[in-house]
Amino acid sequence: MPVLRSVRERFAAEQPLKGVKVGACLHVTAETANLARALAAGGAEVALCAANPLSTQDDVVEVLASEMLVRAKRGTDPRPGVAEVATWGPHVTLDDGADLIALLHEGDALVDGFLGGTEETTTGLVRVRALDLRCPVLALNEARTERVFNDHYGTGQSTLDGILRATNVLLAGRTVVIVGYGFTGRGIATRARGAGAQVIICEVDPLAALEARMEGFEVMPALAAAARGDIFITVTGTPRVLGAEHFAVMKDGASLANAGHFDVEIDLDALAAAATERRQVLPLVESFTLASGRRLHLLAQGRVVNLAAGQGHPAEIMDISFAVHALAVEHLVTRGGSLAPGIHPVPEPIDREVARLKLAALGVGIDALTPEQEAYRHSWGGAA
Amino acid sequence: MSTTAEPTTLDFKVADLGLAEFGRKEIRLAEHEMPGLMKTREEFAASQPLKGARIMGSLHMTIQTAVLIETLVALGAEVRWVSCNIFSTQDHAAAATVVGPNGTPEDPQGVSVYAWKGETLEEYWWCTEQALQWPEHGGPNLILDDGGDATMLVHKGTEYEAAGAVPDPASAESEEFKVFLTLLTRSLQDDPNRWTKVGQDIVGVSEETTTGVHRLYELAKTGELLFPAINVNDSVTKSKFDNLYGCRHSLVDGINRAVDVMLAGKTAVVCGFGDVGKGSAESLRAQGARVIVTEIDPICALQASMQGYQVQTLEDVIEVADVFITTTGNKDIITVDDMARMKHQAIVGNIGHFDNEIDVAGLEKYDGITRINIKPQVDEWVFPDGHSIILLSEGRLLNLGNATGHPSFVMSNSFTNQTIAQIELWTKNDQYEKQVYVLPKHLDEKVARLHLDAVGVKLTQLRPDQAAYIGVPVEGPYKPDHYRY
Repeated sequence: MPVLRSVRERFAAEQPLKGVKVGACLHVTAETANLARALAAGGAEVALCAANPLSTQDDVVEVLASEMLVRAKRGTDPRPGVAEVATWGPHVTLDDGADLIALLHEGDALVDGFLGGTEETTTGLVRVRALDLRCPVLALNEARTERVFNDHYGTGQSTLDGILRATNVLLAGRTVVIVGYGFTGRGIATRARGAGAQVIICEVDPLAALEARMEGFEVMPALAAAARGDIFITVTGTPRVLGAEHFAVMKDGASLANAGHFDVEIDLDALAAAATERRQVLPLVESFTLASGRRLHLLAQGRVVNLAAGQGHPAEIMDISFAVHALAVEHLVTRGGSLAPGIHPVPEPIDREVARLKLAALGVGIDALTPEQEAYRHSWGGAA
Repeated sequence: MSTTAEPTTLDFKVADLGLAEFGRKEIRLAEHEMPGLMKTREEFAASQPLKGARIMGSLHMTIQTAVLIETLVALGAEVRWVSCNIFSTQDHAAAATVVGPNGTPEDPQGVSVYAWKGETLEEYWWCTEQALQWPEHGGPNLILDDGGDATMLVHKGTEYEAAGAVPDPASAESEEFKVFLTLLTRSLQDDPNRWTKVGQDIVGVSEETTTGVHRLYELAKTGELLFPAINVNDSVTKSKFDNLYGCRHSLVDGINRAVDVMLAGKTAVVCGFGDVGKGSAESLRAQGARVIVTEIDPICALQASMQGYQVQTLEDVIEVADVFITTTGNKDIITVDDMARMKHQAIVGNIGHFDNEIDVAGLEKYDGITRINIKPQVDEWVFPDGHSIILLSEGRLLNLGNATGHPSFVMSNSFTNQTIAQIELWTKNDQYEKQVYVLPKHLDEKVARLHLDAVGVKLTQLRPDQAAYIGVPVEGPYKPDHYRY
């Protein structure tokens, strides 16, 4: 993780986070450990809890436990750990799904001198918007570097990786239905096509749907796609995009996977209700036999399949993402006091800095505008 | 039309010799893109292996073909040429070939060409007949064929002369065959041994395309093949390049020049998933079209599926697709009833060799239909219910009819094979029976090798111990004959 490493080296030298308590509610993985250590190197005290019951890497917890407060264990309810970190009294929070910031807004748990939080996911931001927000929150996933790397390339790759690990299915020749054509859906769609799958896109946004169509994907309502697909992937951030009416027409042996943040996109209650028999056929594949005799395979209990069945994003992607996190924490520490309560975008200089560090790590050189070119771009029709 | 000018004995018929200068400029550019042909000219400049050969060519008279013709001439051959399609001639290429590199429109010194864009069927077969007639020597001694029309004329002529009669043209099942039989009826009256004599002089044919090769194997099977044939089509450097990469380049080019519709977002049906279909599907998908494939062969159908294409029957998609492309080499793929059910302004085109994949005759006969010519090679056919389809190049090869066919670099691969095949047939004729042959693999590899420098390919050298390990010579050939690439 060369980008985060260069941030960490600067932090170690400049100590910009000295004395600040940072509470992080993230997927507790090896990459997250590097972020926590970078923040600690910058002088912060760090506490870590889990944003998801299935994504924790227990070996990482074991190693980090000697360095900082860590409350996470794979397969257990994460809520007590989140509560403990909230009580610990952070000045800055890092969230992936808004669990920690939401809990701090219940009652009046924000400490004096609370500087603000960051939120990693689209879904988390929806929750943050619903809060009566009393602090600034930086919307990390709306940062350009984040959108491009994390959603498109990261989730795009790791979602298919998770599905392959869970099922070992051959994608070539199969019909993959992707519900949602946002940044993540696009990443998955191009990769599924590259692997030889026929890809069908379902959308509610006419512009996104048209883009999918212009890319040559088949676009249709989810109910029509339900009868065609072999593998369904939800990436919408919206609950119950696949429900009873879809399950009723799906083919025998169809697989259902979710790469959206929460396990609400596939209607699990409806699936359970429709099933006459449930059987765990593989560690992360549960088979639901419907009254018709057809079987549907639910992957990773409908939770983020790229993390639950795969290894989440490759380290390179998390490197970018966590460098944005680290610089966002620094921004909150230096500027948080002057930011109004509410959701704020990640300042553009952070994006540019992260991209610059990543290019340097890749050994890629780029051009710079000459002063004349710069002036031309800011002139009216080149008359300058 | 220009015809024979006085100070020369060169006979020809092309659209306009005034186009020769433009043609020569494009030939000059093409020569740079055709390293296989140009290196072959260098290699054989001194030895003149085609000296004494009289080559009759029936192959799309394009700029690239002009470079082939001038290569054959540079190797010592006398050449006469026609197009193998009524729409595929590039008139400036034909003019420049007649004028030649050293002639002028007033004093042409090149090759006898009988070809122009937009021939009638009668004119087409008349041209073929002219090219098979040397002013002093009778017929050719070699044919370079594309689709097998010249070979068929000689074979059918010989067959009917032996029978002493030509079938009644009125019995022909297509308009084209009627014209063909009419020609042979006349020729039988004029000279009852003409084609028999022509056939006896010919020592071989090299055939360019799948369709012509199919005809040759049929003739060889029944023992009717009059002379040895080399199947150039099945050289790897031909079919896996020309058919695949050539069509990938020129299909979309042809559609765009014809109708300029946005392909992104459209649904396109590709009938057939052979090499031509594979290239066609890939180029349409790359434009953002959703591509559906139809196939009869389970292997090709499964290949299409594994590449992520939906495979359906034409019946399933006839009412939903926007573009239909036939690539099958078979007949009656899209019927007039199919076209009657298509969406308004659906685009229908063929990139297979012959025009019988789409039922154009059926369209013409359809009750109450109107034809609106939009521009050359683009027709809107309006059905009585008011909906229309847009037919490209009257159902003939649309990449040649609506655009300029395959690009020079791809054709350099094909035509270097052709040149090598002609040299084989002429210089080693005693080694060939009246059968169909493919070029040996070392020559196929040579054709590829001749093209590597131009695209900056650095080839890795096999070491002797590695060569021994897999049991091949260091200098190749590297693959067994059955290897599929």
